[in-house]
Amino acid sequence: MREHEALALIERVRARPAKFKDTQITMAHGAGGKATQTLVAGLFLPAFGGQALRELGDAGVVEDLALTTDSFVVKPIRFPGGSIGELAVNGTVNDLAVAGARPLALTLSFVLEEGLSADDLRAEVEAIAAAAAAAGVEIVAGDTKVVERGSCDSMYVTTTGLGRLDPRATLSTGSLKPGDKILVSGPIGEHGTAVMLARGEFELEAPVESDTRSLWPAVDALLDAAGPSLRCLRDATRGGVASALNELAQASSVAMVVREAAVPVRPPVVGACEILGIDPMYVANEGVLVAFVAPEAAADALAALASAPGCEAAAEIGEVKTEPPGMVLVETAFGGRRVMDLLVGDPLPRIC
Amino acid sequence: MKYVDEYRDAELGRVLAGEIVATVEPGREYKIMEVCGGHTHTIYKYGVDDLLPANVELVHGPGCPVCVIPMGRVDDAIAVAHIPGVIFTCFGDMMRVPGGSGTLLDAKARGADVRMVYSPLDALRIARENPDREVVFFAVGFETTAPSTALTLKRAKAEGTRNFSCFSNHVTIVPPLRALLESPDLRLDGFIGPGHVSTVVGARPFEFIPADYGKPVVISGFEPLDLLQSVYMVLRQLVEGRCEVENQYARVVPADGNPAALRVLEEVFELRPHFEWRGLGFISHSGLKLSEAYAELDAELRFEIPGVRVADPKACQCGEVLKGVIKPWECKVFGTACTPERPIGTCMVSSEGACAAYYNYGRFAREREVV
Amino acid sequence: MSCAADTHCITCSDEGVPMRVLDVQPDGLARCEAEGAESDVMIDLVGPLAIGDNVLVHAGVALARLA
Repeated sequence: MREHEALALIERVRARPAKFKDTQITMAHGAGGKATQTLVAGLFLPAFGGQALRELGDAGVVEDLALTTDSFVVKPIRFPGGSIGELAVNGTVNDLAVAGARPLALTLSFVLEEGLSADDLRAEVEAIAAAAAAAGVEIVAGDTKVVERGSCDSMYVTTTGLGRLDPRATLSTGSLKPGDKILVSGPIGEHGTAVMLARGEFELEAPVESDTRSLWPAVDALLDAAGPSLRCLRDATRGGVASALNELAQASSVAMVVREAAVPVRPPVVGACEILGIDPMYVANEGVLVAFVAPEAAADALAALASAPGCEAAAEIGEVKTEPPGMVLVETAFGGRRVMDLLVGDPLPRIC
Repeated sequence: MKYVDEYRDAELGRVLAGEIVATVEPGREYKIMEVCGGHTHTIYKYGVDDLLPANVELVHGPGCPVCVIPMGRVDDAIAVAHIPGVIFTCFGDMMRVPGGSGTLLDAKARGADVRMVYSPLDALRIARENPDREVVFFAVGFETTAPSTALTLKRAKAEGTRNFSCFSNHVTIVPPLRALLESPDLRLDGFIGPGHVSTVVGARPFEFIPADYGKPVVISGFEPLDLLQSVYMVLRQLVEGRCEVENQYARVVPADGNPAALRVLEEVFELRPHFEWRGLGFISHSGLKLSEAYAELDAELRFEIPGVRVADPKACQCGEVLKGVIKPWECKVFGTACTPERPIGTCMVSSEGACAAYYNYGRFAREREVV
Repeated sequence: MSCAADTHCITCSDEGVPMRVLDVQPDGLARCEAEGAESDVMIDLVGPLAIGDNVLVHAGVALARLA
């Protein structure tokens, strides 16, 4: 066929609504990339997607309250820089924070494996208490179940988070405009790399620790400095910064250009990812957010962000463009460009 | 990193790009093939072809040893993975390659114990740590990777690890190149020679390309500047009427390769009479199997392997895309029967393959300087 | 314009990683590092090495010395 016919065919296929046609669930469905997207858009939304859910934000908004839920299945449950309990608190708090909601309360649900040592459980409970105190949230309800040996890996934790929308926040995934600047709050790729190395499956060691932390102080600072000029925030968890940017580019039908040389990454993460053949842009973080700010407020926003704990290396990494809509492009240090697409497979399973 | 940063110099890149524009003859089309998957990856990752003029085209060759494995061999691998008690180990990319009915990832979802490793030594360690399980390593790769498998098999034999075996799908670099060059409808002007295969085999095995087929070859390093410089060197040969093997990667590649590596390959492997390549058909003496001395570690002898040959669909035109004869969209099944989600041939299986790349991003062809 | 995969198997695509030798062990292995990430590498194919030497590593094997 002629080239324009082929391109038209591809456009038609892309424009079709997502259909979930897989016959079984694979690890790719949990990776936060294309397969997850198809599952959500093709199976969940058609079945029970109302207006709030279709926003596909990190939290769902009901009147002036924000609600979010998360499950934590990380393996191993303890790793350099943190543990499943800490992830559970900070991860939930962060989903609320990036929705522009001050975190108020959490519920906590445990699924425990028969045979789990009481000391291990005690350690997680203490980690959860410490993280909740540090984040300023109260745990108000909970549940505990136990399953037979082998039915879950040590423990799974599920949370629900409740927050109140901050009056300074006017955030929406569909509000990005060409010219908006893209900020990242700190060095990327730390958490996923730390967990992969902690699994000990590969003969590889590197001084990398999880970056798990509450992002509310960072969000608070951004809201203060930029107010209505702050378009949208996202925490870059599964699928990394690349996935967060892709999701928002699609939600707002805009393009994005990222300057690779401007993205903060620490050398041990670069080295470990190089050896593993993984791009740090796709590696999960647990204490990094991306922010979209109107250009006139970008400098102030960046200064405010860099003042928050753990965000000293915050940087402006790119901007929003018009064309081609839904695409994220990277300007390489070499002077060329490449497309940074949604994750396809599952390079790092069970990291959060 | 010391080695890596020096070669990523964008300023030098612009200078080289200027030299390339000044060298090429206006109106003449140049098609240069890079053979090695690692080179394809560098080109994509750094956007190297953005710095080339419109009349210089890089054609991505059959350098992905994973994608060229035919469907039947993937089915064989899945069959072994499903044998009770087997731990099936393989490299990451291998998990997503489709056979006749699914991938190794699908097999894992159905209960097979399939584990990703980064080196065959990881697989051997798994065998030591699980003495009551049979550990099979799915070996793929050119002569770059075969030494790693060979050394691991030597270690396994020396230490007497009995619950370890290897399913070898190693391939060699020269036969597919010769098969491509033999085609009368080949439309390529020159080659970027593989970088790390040559650290093992040296530069000499590629001399047949200028000698027998009159095409220049430049062996290239992996940094974007290396590739750009290698393209420049190929173009200079074409413009000056020279035709030889040049070694741009001399800082790493010795002319004679690595004799110790070649010796260990000779000890552990032998050439199969022929081996099937996805999309390219049977190529003689292009595949490696374990030698007699290592037969006890050969998974093909230890297990019942179906060995069913699944023919490439007749409609597959990967061969022609690889030879630069047709563009991806000109293939009869491009975008219809063959898509990234349901790929048929090697050009669509790999995300670095010409067809997969075009399918996903072809509509965003950038404006290039027209010469 | 071209794309890059989210991951690509560096083993399958023939890439090598430059690494620095930290420690040579007796059984044909050496502890090597790349930007702080350390792993054990088979060094049977590159002759005697000293701490501080640089090698090109692919699939857990040093294939060549780097100057």
